[in-house]
Amino acid sequence: MTRARLDAKRAMLVAVLDTLIPAAEGFPESGALALDHVLAIAAASAEAGALLAAALDAIDEAARVGGARGFAEGSAGEREDLLRGVERSHSEAFEALVRHTYDGFYSHPATITRLGLEPGPVQPRGHRIEPAPAPDLARVTARGPIYRRA
Amino acid sequence: MATDDRPDVLVIGAGASGAAVAWRLATAGIGVVCLEQGDWVDARAYPHWQADWELHRHTDWSAEPNVRRLPEDYPVNEQASVISPLMYNAVGGSTIHWSAHFPRFRPSDFRVKSLDGVADDWPIDYATLEPYFDLNDRMMGVAGITGDPAYPPKSPRQTPPIPLDTLGHTIAGGFERLHWHWWPSDSAILTRDYDGRRACVNCGPCDLGCPIGAKASTDITYWPKALAAGARLLTRARVREITLGPDGLADGAIYYDREGRECRQKARAVVLAANGIGTPRLLLNSRSPRFPDGLANRSGLVGRNLMFHPYAMARGVFERPLGGHRGPIGCSIISQEFYETDLARGFVRGYSFQVARGLSPIASANGGSVGDRVPWGRAHRRAYDARFDRTITVAVIGEDLPELHNRVELDPSLTDGNGIPSPRVSYRLSENSRRMLDHGIARAGEVLRAAGAREVASNPLLRAGGWHLMGTARMGRDRATSVVDAEGRSHDVPNLYIVDGSVMVTCAGVNPTSTIQAVALHVADGMIRRRA
Repeated sequence: MTRARLDAKRAMLVAVLDTLIPAAEGFPESGALALDHVLAIAAASAEAGALLAAALDAIDEAARVGGARGFAEGSAGEREDLLRGVERSHSEAFEALVRHTYDGFYSHPATITRLGLEPGPVQPRGHRIEPAPAPDLARVTARGPIYRRA
Repeated sequence: MATDDRPDVLVIGAGASGAAVAWRLATAGIGVVCLEQGDWVDARAYPHWQADWELHRHTDWSAEPNVRRLPEDYPVNEQASVISPLMYNAVGGSTIHWSAHFPRFRPSDFRVKSLDGVADDWPIDYATLEPYFDLNDRMMGVAGITGDPAYPPKSPRQTPPIPLDTLGHTIAGGFERLHWHWWPSDSAILTRDYDGRRACVNCGPCDLGCPIGAKASTDITYWPKALAAGARLLTRARVREITLGPDGLADGAIYYDREGRECRQKARAVVLAANGIGTPRLLLNSRSPRFPDGLANRSGLVGRNLMFHPYAMARGVFERPLGGHRGPIGCSIISQEFYETDLARGFVRGYSFQVARGLSPIASANGGSVGDRVPWGRAHRRAYDARFDRTITVAVIGEDLPELHNRVELDPSLTDGNGIPSPRVSYRLSENSRRMLDHGIARAGEVLRAAGAREVASNPLLRAGGWHLMGTARMGRDRATSVVDAEGRSHDVPNLYIVDGSVMVTCAGVNPTSTIQAVALHVADGMIRRRA
């Protein structure tokens, strides 16, 4: 049911995600990368889905009250202003929307790659740490014992 | 369902302490059965094998049972607590999830009353536990360097220390500039192959478990050896209550098996190893005409004196990349510059710094343990890029003092999946702890800036930081002011033992697992001696 509500507002949801994380510095906007995750969360958890739907409803309502144009048609500045109003009026739902957007965007292989990391599982590959000399602890040990004898 | 099976000892809980005590008893030829409400964790099930591994940190692999909500978990009412209790229910217990930072308590930690006039002394001391620290180190496998002047000399570490890497060397520079104590962490994570286990490959998220067995968790350290020595382990066996015989001695437990059937396990002695919340919960659920206020609770102290380690977090942002995604997430450096009491600081006792690695991609966006989310909107990209791979987090681990009002009780309505009453936790931060953490945040900011941080943010109290559950069935010599004696034996029920963090009289200013396990081995040896 919640997933259906979100699907019905899919175009607006994409615009909202793009406003939360706009394209910049070679990173794409989050509508392209986080949408599937946000929809999957809404489908998997009734609690999360209800919050996300509430956030979208509030954004939709604010857009309609604010003028004739829909949310997606506004300028970047207008969309941000509108979302900041919803962030204040529906803080819990909006917080969930931002969190799940960040989760989806920063777990996407395209983002991981753009960050300079290798996407995919961290096992079995792990990470290589270059060998280095043992740390110099001479100053620390020169102080002598710093514990109280008891 | 009852059986005629009556082993020498029933151990309840297969985590850090339960595994240690089961192994020690089994190798001495004592018959042991352990009941564990969780299951074995399949190494192939860890999220590290999946591309979206980080998403699991806040869902099915969360350290919070109230978030995870697996069938083997029980809910905890934490509405009256400023810290959320964390735990994992499986063979290995919370060592599945821990960071494996492995310091010991220091000698002064056992003499708090004598030295500083607060709380109480332990009935045992560092010297008593020292051979058990060493034995436990060999069983778990510890990476580190001897010679730390914050401790009496230690036995050789099993493998060289976790590499400091760029991040560790950067913060070490800060400690050096301030002339403060620091040392590469003792970590229960192998840097070389040891005892049939593989070395760490520095994948990072130890807090989600270790799928290759480089991090010590007792399902791969103690349990294989305990089972080989003859111990038996029943999983998905959730104990409802400990039962008494007509002689007033513990004679076993009633539990639910994985199908929900009520079963009975008889035994000649019972050892509780269910953590600092699970153990008082079980004792309080074991009421009888002989013990109307809960088993072994004539002192009225079961569930009281709950101690967490309150954590404050400081995070510095640096100009250059630090490679913080490489290496064990919780282990690089410890500092005990402010560990012993100095009343000029405005509080009694002290704290450690635990330096963690950097934040992973999602944690960077959401603020990690500091919780300051990167702003959304057109400012997002620049703010995120200024933070990612450029942070060092310093955790302040304060010594919490025992207070009667901080406690575990039974919730009047909340239950687990078997209908067993759940715990209700009440905990508030003391003024002493508040001052201690404030001091720690300020000093952490100093060391981060000395290391080159261009900005520092902090979290004055980490809510989701209740990793360490202690004090709720304290040990002592006086039966009026303690629940168990110096060898973990109940004052009221002499064949009932407790070996988990519940028995801790005070909690020191360091992670407790090494000391919890040393105490468990000490208790086991007392049981073996009495049997002989």
